Amino acid sequence: MQINGIIIDDTFAEAFNMRGTRVIITAQNLKWAYHAANAMTGFATSVIGCGVEAGIERELSADETPDGRPGISVLMFAMGSKVLMQQLETRMGQCILTCPTAAAFAGIASEDNISLGRHLRYFGDGYQTSKLINGKRYWRIPVMDGEFLVQETTGMVRAIGGGNFLILATSQPEALYAAETAIEAMKKVPNVIMPFPGGVVRSGSKVGSKYPKMFASTNDAFCPTLKGLVDSALTDEIESVMEIVIDGLTFADIAQSIKVGIQAICDLGNESGVKRISAGNYGGKLGPHHFKLHEIMGKAS
Amino acid sequence: MSALTFTLKKSVKYPIDCRLLTPNNLANLSILEIKHLSLFNTKNTPKIGDYFDVSGDDANHIIFKSANHQLDYIGHQMTNGQITIEGDCGDFLGAQMGGGIIICKGNANDRVGDQMRRGLILVDGNAGDYCGSRMIAGTIGVFGDVGNYIGFAMKRGTILLTKTPKLHATLQDCGTHTLPFLALFFASFKGLSTRFNTIKNMRVQRYAGDLACNGNGEILVCHTTISA
Repeated sequence: MQINGIIIDDTFAEAFNMRGTRVIITAQNLKWAYHAANAMTGFATSVIGCGVEAGIERELSADETPDGRPGISVLMFAMGSKVLMQQLETRMGQCILTCPTAAAFAGIASEDNISLGRHLRYFGDGYQTSKLINGKRYWRIPVMDGEFLVQETTGMVRAIGGGNFLILATSQPEALYAAETAIEAMKKVPNVIMPFPGGVVRSGSKVGSKYPKMFASTNDAFCPTLKGLVDSALTDEIESVMEIVIDGLTFADIAQSIKVGIQAICDLGNESGVKRISAGNYGGKLGPHHFKLHEIMGKAS
Repeated sequence: MSALTFTLKKSVKYPIDCRLLTPNNLANLSILEIKHLSLFNTKNTPKIGDYFDVSGDDANHIIFKSANHQLDYIGHQMTNGQITIEGDCGDFLGAQMGGGIIICKGNANDRVGDQMRRGLILVDGNAGDYCGSRMIAGTIGVFGDVGNYIGFAMKRGTILLTKTPKLHATLQDCGTHTLPFLALFFASFKGLSTRFNTIKNMRVQRYAGDLACNGNGEILVCHTTISA
């Protein structure tokens, strides 16, 4: 398959079941909402080393938030509910409780509710008070800048992580420019995040390693400097590969975001230096969700 | 469905105990059954139908019409639904309340929300003495004046006022603050027919108490003349 002179590989991205949640962070203004949300979603690129994958979904205007202040919606994903709960709690405590004027609210409804402020309230040392407003419980914790307002719980849902595609280009700047273009378009898709720095990852991995203690190592088949050494997936002209990883609430959300991202790159055309789009998988044996690039892009045309 | 409405037939010279007339007690009862309920739940006592005209079928929203200060214990121990009082009411409005909403469009007598644990009581007029006494938690709002000993022995909970009340010694001034939760609070009043939904000022004087009894309760005075 070719779109605008760019080859789309007949392959699929392999994705996994995750647990996800959404938190709405508000503050006096967007600047401080961003400070809080950036801290909360910092060091959250991959579950391998960070416990969770988290990112900013979008900005919220004052009339979209519960307390009428500007806000940010944050999505957070983990491999299991226990890790998600633990990471949410520590990040709430260190990043939101501490951030001037910030408040936090549930961003998703579910039968599974996990603690947002339920345990954080003990920071109030007995001076914390709760208010039940329209059936939802909120905690008011006295802090030095006034009062920290936090909803007791937020919802936890079944989600999918690890949707991805690879951008193969003739140079590193070209690959990165195409990735940036894709990310700009994909940021407009709701219910997904691209958790890596700037949404892009340059160190895609394969399962296993020659070293017994490593369970993941560099994806040598896509490393341009190893073309002559390994069974490379790259042709001569490819000098750089960037990957975009997507976590989302549903299969459809991730599929839509892959479609929008690849389409944005294809709109740049073959002259952009991008020659191929591929995807990462483990032969289809590990992850239950397969995002077939041809099927996804077929819907586009 | 229309709200279950109790219209007081005649003005009485003695108190009527209305504790039976809550959404909890009247759910799934027909109007005939309600009319034959004994006011005091014993034999040979007056029936509801002797004092009230009863109409409507939605027990989740109860309205008292032509109500006056002789109607005591309205909303006693209610846990859900809404009661609207079009007129005044007597003592112990919402006493031991465990949830739901009570709106009194007129004045309330003494002991509003005595020992209430959860829920919302909004009085558009004045309230008598011992408003919020022995309050465990929940919210009481009084738009008009309140009598003596407001928040007497309250443990937790919020009493929202628009004028500074007469305070007894164990209520302490914590200063003037802009409290973020009030935005949610005021937004939740929007669907209710009450004078409180005109308040936009999130700046309040906070008094904590009753220090003789835990002291985690608060009286918030929101001067409506100051704009947000």
